[in-house]
Amino acid sequence: MITTPKAEVLQGTLDLLVLKTLDTLGPLHGFGIARRIQQASQDALLLNQGTLYPALVRLEQRGWIRSKWGISENNRRARFYSLTKAGRKQLTVEAQSWERMATIIARLLVGAGEA
Amino acid sequence: MSWIQQITSRLRAALGKRQRDRMLDEELNTHLALLIEQNVERGMSPEAARRAAKLSLGGADQIKESVHDHRGLPLLETFVQDLRFALRMLRKSPGFSAVAILTLALGIGANSAVFSAIDAILLRPLPFPDANQLMQISQYHLKEKNLNPFVAPVRLEDWNRMNSTFQAMTGYYAEDDSEISGPLPEKVTIAFVAPRFLQVWGIAPALGRDFTTVEERFGGPGAVLISRRFWENRFGADPNALGKKLRIGRFALTIVGVMPASFLFPNRDVDLWSPDGVGGPYAQNRDLTWYTIIGRLKQGVTLAQSRANLATVQSQLGKQYPKPDADLAVNVQSLKEIVIGGIGRSFWMLFGSVSLLLLIACTNIAALLLARSSRRQHEISIRFALGGSRTAIMRQLLTETFLLALGGAALGLIVAAAASQIFQTLAASLPRVQQIHLDATVVLYSLACSLIVTFLCGLLPAIRAARKSIAVSLAQASFTQVSTRNRLHWLLVGVQVALAVTLLAGAGLLIRSFQELGRVSPGFQPDHVLTFHISASYGETTDLKAMTQRIDRTIDSLAALPGVSSAATSATLPGVPSESPQEFKVAEGQTDPNRKIVSDSRAVSPSYFATMQIPLLDGKSCRELPSGADVLVNRSFANTYFGQSNPIGHHLSVVGNQYLPLGEIRGIVGDAREEGLNRAPGPTVYWCISGAVPDPYYLVRTLGKPMTMARTIRERIRSIEPTRSLFDIVPLTEHIDQSFAENRMRMVLLSLFAATALCLACLGLYGTLSYSVAIRRREIGLRMALGAVPRRIATGFLLLGLRICVIGCAVGVTLVIAFGRVLSGMLFGVSPTDVVTLAGVIFIMLIVAALASLVPSLRASRVDPMVALRYEE
Repeated sequence: MITTPKAEVLQGTLDLLVLKTLDTLGPLHGFGIARRIQQASQDALLLNQGTLYPALVRLEQRGWIRSKWGISENNRRARFYSLTKAGRKQLTVEAQSWERMATIIARLLVGAGEA
Repeated sequence: MSWIQQITSRLRAALGKRQRDRMLDEELNTHLALLIEQNVERGMSPEAARRAAKLSLGGADQIKESVHDHRGLPLLETFVQDLRFALRMLRKSPGFSAVAILTLALGIGANSAVFSAIDAILLRPLPFPDANQLMQISQYHLKEKNLNPFVAPVRLEDWNRMNSTFQAMTGYYAEDDSEISGPLPEKVTIAFVAPRFLQVWGIAPALGRDFTTVEERFGGPGAVLISRRFWENRFGADPNALGKKLRIGRFALTIVGVMPASFLFPNRDVDLWSPDGVGGPYAQNRDLTWYTIIGRLKQGVTLAQSRANLATVQSQLGKQYPKPDADLAVNVQSLKEIVIGGIGRSFWMLFGSVSLLLLIACTNIAALLLARSSRRQHEISIRFALGGSRTAIMRQLLTETFLLALGGAALGLIVAAAASQIFQTLAASLPRVQQIHLDATVVLYSLACSLIVTFLCGLLPAIRAARKSIAVSLAQASFTQVSTRNRLHWLLVGVQVALAVTLLAGAGLLIRSFQELGRVSPGFQPDHVLTFHISASYGETTDLKAMTQRIDRTIDSLAALPGVSSAATSATLPGVPSESPQEFKVAEGQTDPNRKIVSDSRAVSPSYFATMQIPLLDGKSCRELPSGADVLVNRSFANTYFGQSNPIGHHLSVVGNQYLPLGEIRGIVGDAREEGLNRAPGPTVYWCISGAVPDPYYLVRTLGKPMTMARTIRERIRSIEPTRSLFDIVPLTEHIDQSFAENRMRMVLLSLFAATALCLACLGLYGTLSYSVAIRRREIGLRMALGAVPRRIATGFLLLGLRICVIGCAVGVTLVIAFGRVLSGMLFGVSPTDVVTLAGVIFIMLIVAALASLVPSLRASRVDPMVALRYEE
């Protein structure tokens, strides 16, 4: 079935993933967020979907996302999360710092390969 | 239960944890359902789809737990849990809990008690609106040493008109007079006040009205405000008292209002306030000063600004009236500072010592907790084994300590509640001492104390106990331990001993000072002297001759009473500080013209020296003269300013006072400690004027006990002065005693604290030694089995205890030498490093420590050798 080893979600990146997902797709429930993250990573990410919920509580406490009860596509009551203004700002900050980090690591790895 | 309560309780439950849990459940269920649907769509069987979904989502309970951790509420929940567990643990060892709570109750209680006094006396503002704006304003002479702070009424009006930094200024003077509308004269303390009096205080009468401008004018209708107490005592709090008339001397005053009970200014005894006409002819003289001035600063004006402003005003007045005003300067001081006086140092010293006491108590508890936690190693290591985290275990232990501290604080509040009684019994004459009481501030302070205590004595044991490696190793080692590994315990005992020695030395020095005071020979004989006042008014000074005759007549009449050997008057009390230095000039020229003659100046009746038994050393005794005055000087004055030459026959005048006549020095008397038993007698000039003030102190030497004569004297005064009242009948010794109230208070309290500290330190020593013996039972048993002499084992433990004690004493003595300065100024006749005191303190400490070590040491020598085998199991 699956042959490639899955990468675990890096610590601290889950927030970024959630914020980005809500930014692209608009209001989503927990399952929607998890599905999107896994689709986008083409199932290469090993996401323990349970860990999503503490992250959502944390983000909501910080005021980066807000939630509202609504009806899901299969007619169930579900909580829909959406990005706040502060969340959008936070997303740019985190995305930038992630890119910086990624560049540094990439550069390091390339350098190491040459040596 | 009312329906409102039902609804609120339901609401609370709905908003609480349960509601959030249900919502999370629903959210997770939706997630699971969607996940299953997705899996089924991908072609899994429903059964496999469900399993895979559950696997991928994780356990619902686990998620809930970790969501809880994020909500911020787990802290509270675990705190309640910890609290419950701690309560159970403490209940399981009631002996330990009781000792710990009692120790902390002593420490926190004493601390809160002293704090409540500091809060009431030093910290709280005076009981007037915006009291920090209230200032006392005084004048002083630039060239002469003259401490007269009073101000002429006309100058008050100038200041009030010309300044730009005060909202208003007012003035007053108070005297003890008699109200004579009743069958007997009643002594009243009446304050004569300048205009704007109530405006400056910012206080309105509780009943009735303020004075009108007509009443404030000189010669206007007499009006009076009465105190709440006077209203209750005299009129039974009848509102119809308004409009009634009081008779003071020649004046009839109409009651226009009643002041609130809290308004007690200028002093606690005040009964009446009445306008003093600043427009009167007397009040226009710029040299006649009798007002104490109080001003209220404008919003936002600083003390420095007001000082600068009044300096400018006074220099303008100096140009306008060069004669007196050019030599005068103005001083502004916060009224609160004046009211409190120098009492602050005593209280901060007491606060320091009581904080040391609390520190000792904390150290004691820390040692107890250390011993206890090593006994609990088993329990703690099990909790580690079951996955308890370090923080969780530390939190648990700290919660237990907090509970102990809380119990201590609660019990301590009982001590604090008694504080007001304690301070009033010890020193009722202290300013604002009536205002000491238990209030929210004190309760909050105790709570803060218990928090600090928790960390002070709980943190170290908690950290030690929660060290995993030690926890495991000690769990096995406690029975096989041989050497003393309890260095920390002994360090704590040493700290307690050192601090206790410090407190003991402080108390010892104060006690020795008091003893020295008792040994001083004052130069006069204070025993068998009764003192009192007879009401009089400053109005009588308009006819000085009549006033002097009245006072002389009273003295003669008192001296003729059977049981009285002599009677006298004095403007100031002998042996009680009065601060009355003045600058003198010798009419015949001085030995050293460049040297200023500054001396205490006292006005007494000629009979004073016989009454106080101050010996006449040279010359003749003085006489009361119709004009001019006789003067006696003391030996110190003669030696200081006349040296070898004889002062008798020279004439003295007071610099800057043209009202006093030239005084002829008639003789020299012995030195007496007139300014307080703790002060060496300085140069003193005695003016032989019995009526220097209308209400001098009367001093009557009695043959028997002074107070037994009170009734006879009262009857005699009633027969010769029916319109005057006699009050404040007190033996002179009591006045002198009162003047040392502050000294006595610090001595008694510090001794109490030191004794408590000694007990706590010994308790600590006892506890630690007992613990050490208990933990080393096997070792002792082994040694006994090998033939050790029990007595040597006992001596070994005894010496162990004493060695720590000796080190503690050495550190304590070093502390005393380093911080003895704190006590300087409070000591009399002993130095802060008095060897006798320190030796005595160390002696007491060692004796008590030896007694405390004796029991555990003896217990060690009685260990049964069999335990060595039995403990191996």
